[in-house]
Amino acid sequence: MSTQTTEGGRARPEPIRAVPVRHPGRWVAIVVLVVLAAMFVHMLFTNKQYEWRFIADNVLSAPVARGALTTIELTVFAMIIGVVLGVVLAVMRLSPNPILSTASWLYTWFFRGVPRLVLCVLFGNLGILYSRLEFGLPFDRQIGYLFGIDDLHARIFGVNSTTLLTGFTAGLLALAMSEGAYMAEIVRAGIQSVDAGQTEAAQALGMRRPLMLRRIILPQAMRVIVPPTGNETIAMLKDTSLVAYVPVTNELFFQLQHIGARTYQIFPMLVAACLWYLAMTSVLMVGQHYVERYFGRGFGAAGAARIRRVRRTGASGEVAE
Amino acid sequence: MSEAAAAVDGLPAPADCMVLADNVHKSFGRLEVLRGVDLAVPSGAVACVLGPSGGGKSTFLRCINHLEKIDAGQVWVGGELVGYRQIGGKLHEMREKDIAVQRSRIGMVFQRFNLFPHLTARQNVMEAPCRVRGVRRAQARERAEELLTRVGLADKGDTYPAQLSGGQQQRVAIARALAMDPELMLFDEPTSALDPELVGEVLDVMKDLAESGMTMVVVTHEIGFAREVADSVVFMDGGVIVESGPPSQVLDNPRRERTREFLSKVL
Repeated sequence: MSTQTTEGGRARPEPIRAVPVRHPGRWVAIVVLVVLAAMFVHMLFTNKQYEWRFIADNVLSAPVARGALTTIELTVFAMIIGVVLGVVLAVMRLSPNPILSTASWLYTWFFRGVPRLVLCVLFGNLGILYSRLEFGLPFDRQIGYLFGIDDLHARIFGVNSTTLLTGFTAGLLALAMSEGAYMAEIVRAGIQSVDAGQTEAAQALGMRRPLMLRRIILPQAMRVIVPPTGNETIAMLKDTSLVAYVPVTNELFFQLQHIGARTYQIFPMLVAACLWYLAMTSVLMVGQHYVERYFGRGFGAAGAARIRRVRRTGASGEVAE
Repeated sequence: MSEAAAAVDGLPAPADCMVLADNVHKSFGRLEVLRGVDLAVPSGAVACVLGPSGGGKSTFLRCINHLEKIDAGQVWVGGELVGYRQIGGKLHEMREKDIAVQRSRIGMVFQRFNLFPHLTARQNVMEAPCRVRGVRRAQARERAEELLTRVGLADKGDTYPAQLSGGQQQRVAIARALAMDPELMLFDEPTSALDPELVGEVLDVMKDLAESGMTMVVVTHEIGFAREVADSVVFMDGGVIVESGPPSQVLDNPRRERTREFLSKVL
């Protein structure tokens, strides 16, 4: 079987030097793409409607920068709330308690079923439904009537919804609660991807469910949870533009559109919006790459994958890292 | 009351043995996997359970630490009813917390090892003592080193499971179970997922453990191990115990045709 050495008295044959297969189709494709790209760039520079100077003057102006900051704030807070909510909902959904699991299912059903745009408008108008938010004994008036007291008020404190549900809070809540529903499904998939043997081993050692989830199941589920969460973050950054309908006025897309409408330079400002979102999602993509690498490193199985990779490439002489 | 029932079956009293199974039944849907299993394992004894696949061996083992809930009958470990409490002649389901305490006194080793892949070998061994029993880290660490040395893996403490061979992983799994100082060890086909040349190292550790006086119930296909180490051999098929007794009797002079047929195929 040995093909490597002269073991057994046979000389190793010359390495194969064959004529490679030609790929004329690839050359055609390259030519077509280069021509199309050249046409596009040419159009960018010759079409006066782009108003590149106007874009350059306005893309970093103070209100736009403030808008971009709001967009980043919304993304960060909505994702933090969404991830925490998602973990809680996923654990509830997989709980042996049928009440918790049904409640989680209902939540997901509602917030995944209603479009984010509709949610944003809905949360922006919650003030119509509740002018004041108060905390106290539920059904206090009805209970009062039962005991013959008219107008029983057992409230501890309250706030006007106009002060609580400002545009920013309403928009943030709409995005975060919608995100919670999506994250719940992602976390659930992650938890379910962990081998059932892990649960059995943990149970056999006398671990209870909360400890097992925290120490054994969730750390392993992270490998499955992190990549889609990166996608969710990028999607969230783009969806923050929806809060313009709450309305939130100091948000990036609203600001750019506003400048466009005021100066009749609508298209250049749309281009500016594209540039902003592309720049920010690009930064997030770089971040996602490093986060995934970090979580891969912390885990035995991923570590083994790295070892396998090194072994495989090591066979051909070069090591991957 | 139950002791009276046990006496009728000719089984010893629960307090007199480490494991006592009394007429255990278990079905999965319409499939009856266990159909009245009786077994008594005295403290310090090693019982090997043999039999064809699908005969209910693994299910029975998993009933002993309540990983499977039994439908009828009783299981006692260390004189304590497993999974239930008897109050005034009525059975009450135990809370998860109390079941966990019972399980923590029963070590279990699985066919597919089930080590925690995100933890090193040492962390695997330390996890349950630290988190379940609240043992101090330094102390748990010392004990983990001791146990890893005992299973011949003193130098592998910092290694992740995926970097260990199957035999090494199974030995870490044994150390992990021993870290809880169990009074009983259950082995569910511990060598079935191993390459043939790695079986010996795991069996050696188990032999060592048996000699130290650990009570063990071992589901296995290793007839040689059963012959050498077991105090009693149990042959299970079709959800019942077909035959049981000392290895010399069951393995060399089986009384039942079914046992003879099985042994002629595996020997």
